[in-house]
Amino acid sequence: MSLRILIVEDDREIRSLLRSSLALEGFEVQTAVSVSEARALLHHAEPDALLLDLGLPDGDGMDLVREIRTRKAMPILVVSARHQEKEKVRLLDSGADDYLTKPFGVPELLARLRVAMRHRGTALASARLVHDHEDLHVDLETRQVTVDSRPVHLTPTEFKLLARLVRSAGKVVTHRQLLAEVWGPEYTDHTHYLRLYMAQLRAKIERDPAEPLHLLTETGVGYRLAAA
Amino acid sequence: MESRATLFDPPVRGGPVRDAWLVTALLAAATAFGLLLGRYASLTSVAMLYVLAVAVASYAVRLSASIACALGAVALLNFFFIPPHFSFRVDAGENVATLLALLCVAVVISQLGTAMRRQTQAARLNALRALQLEQLATELAGATFPAEILLLCQRFLSRSFAGPCLAGLLRDGRLDLPADTPAAVREALQAAADDGRALGAGTERWPDLDAWFLPLASEGHVGGAACVRNAPADEGSRQHAQAICALAGQALWRVKLRGSIQAAEKESQWHQAQNTFLAAISHDFRTPLAAIVAAASSLQTQGDRLAEPERRRLLAVILDETGYLSNLTENTLQLARLENAGEIQLDWQSIEEIVGSVLARVRRRDPDRRIQSRVPSGLPLIKADPVLLAQLLENLLDNALKYSDEAIELVVDSYDGSLQLAVHDRGEGIAPGDERAIFRPYRRNDHAGRRGAGLGLAVCRAISNAHGGELLVRPREGGGSSFVLRLPVEAVQPAGEPA
Repeated sequence: MSLRILIVEDDREIRSLLRSSLALEGFEVQTAVSVSEARALLHHAEPDALLLDLGLPDGDGMDLVREIRTRKAMPILVVSARHQEKEKVRLLDSGADDYLTKPFGVPELLARLRVAMRHRGTALASARLVHDHEDLHVDLETRQVTVDSRPVHLTPTEFKLLARLVRSAGKVVTHRQLLAEVWGPEYTDHTHYLRLYMAQLRAKIERDPAEPLHLLTETGVGYRLAAA
Repeated sequence: MESRATLFDPPVRGGPVRDAWLVTALLAAATAFGLLLGRYASLTSVAMLYVLAVAVASYAVRLSASIACALGAVALLNFFFIPPHFSFRVDAGENVATLLALLCVAVVISQLGTAMRRQTQAARLNALRALQLEQLATELAGATFPAEILLLCQRFLSRSFAGPCLAGLLRDGRLDLPADTPAAVREALQAAADDGRALGAGTERWPDLDAWFLPLASEGHVGGAACVRNAPADEGSRQHAQAICALAGQALWRVKLRGSIQAAEKESQWHQAQNTFLAAISHDFRTPLAAIVAAASSLQTQGDRLAEPERRRLLAVILDETGYLSNLTENTLQLARLENAGEIQLDWQSIEEIVGSVLARVRRRDPDRRIQSRVPSGLPLIKADPVLLAQLLENLLDNALKYSDEAIELVVDSYDGSLQLAVHDRGEGIAPGDERAIFRPYRRNDHAGRRGAGLGLAVCRAISNAHGGELLVRPREGGGSSFVLRLPVEAVQPAGEPA
């Protein structure tokens, strides 16, 4: 059975390009040009994923994301222009899964979709417990972290931070989400904790901390643990 | 009356008591002198002494006191000098005539004297007012702001009139007045400003009020209005107040004119800048667009006849050029945003992280890994906007990739109180004397036929400035350039996690 995806995008050209590229990859594609049309479509059919453009004519998809999150677990990808940083982060904080910045290529879109689907498809049933990527191996159950098969010792906070990223491997996790889940909701403004702990983690895990392969920075948004 | 009232109501110094004393003293002196001369002087001479006293009094005291003086003189002459002496009886008819003549002369003199005094005082007052207007004009000439002019106007009105005096500026048709201004005063002032005509005491409109409401106007251009309450009734005073207001109105109009001239000049400069901007931007956008159109149309019409490698090359051209266009758009937007935004939002950032994220992006355009980075560990955190700093660094690295074919070094260092990021290349370098010009929007090193983002360095400079940093270019020993960004580091670093 093919996966159904709903594209909410007001630009006709981009809409039709996305439709044909995704159809070619075997998706069943529905399109909407506005938040209200998307809302109507969501009532009738249940897509498996949502591609939501920011800056739609009838509102910023914020309410839509919230609504969907109260009922459904479908992956939501936000598509934004560079100058929409703030809205993008707001949407990610309120439950969107990942984002793409315009202009983006089709391979990038497919990669993001794949990661998002994988999480929703399998991760809900059984939480992701083992992460393997290049030289890094993390086992959340045994709390073992190895780089190139050499064990790495992490402090409890470093481990908590890494574990949170492992659970969303391949996906962006916002500063706010990390701070709230690792340190507690009252620490969401303490972004410098993240800077300091990320530097420590990178020093232990990365070969060249200044050009990381695993702990990637999403400038102004959050972090992403690289995954296959 | 208070001392500030001297300019408009100063006919006599002192009150009736002083007048009484003066009259008594003059009459006493005349009598004493007459008695001294008594034996040697005729009655006519003594009468002359009294006339002299009355004349002096008439100039120095009020009319009433001066008439009282005349009557006193007649009584005293009668009492002391007309037989029978030391009685008010008058025996000789001739002496009655003398007394009556003296009375008439005294009254006429006192009236003439008072009139003369008034004229002198009016002349002095006018001179004082003229001097005051001159002072005001001088001070207004130095004023550059409407508020300054308003203050001067109010000060000079208060100096001339008992007041209270109040003045306000006209903004978008409404008078800007202190909040505690009574509604009636506010309305009357607004009416004066709207009509550009004086109203209140002595004018054609609302003459029964005891205040003046005067527009600060010059040739029909109203800049505000002023009010003088408890206004004196005479025409001259009102004219003086109107003269003050007219001077203020003139100054307001002058300042306004000067402002609009400056605005016009600024606008014309802005238009010029816009034209340069548009000319440059259309050139910068058109070139990659031309490449894209050529490649895409070739694929569309000749696609079937082209060899596979050629098709791939054309597709690569399209992707490359769109990447360039997207960069250019980003820089253009960022420059406009930085010019308009003023303050940017700063948060604690790690320079190592920013370098890492930029390298991740730039490596796509650096397949041979020409960029070598050296970032020491344990750098201090800085207060920065990460997106902007990343863009700055990306622009510098992209330029280095574009303008040189050899290795590029990215070196981060921390010195006391600052972080330094340097990008060293082995390109052809910046021509001497061009070190500042290259940071201006749309200046470009175009010689090698290679395109550069004309805006890239201007955006870098704007971003550096927004962070309180410094961006310089230096020639590099052995050829090439070094672009160096110095950023301030906060002396107090954020505290780590509570244990």
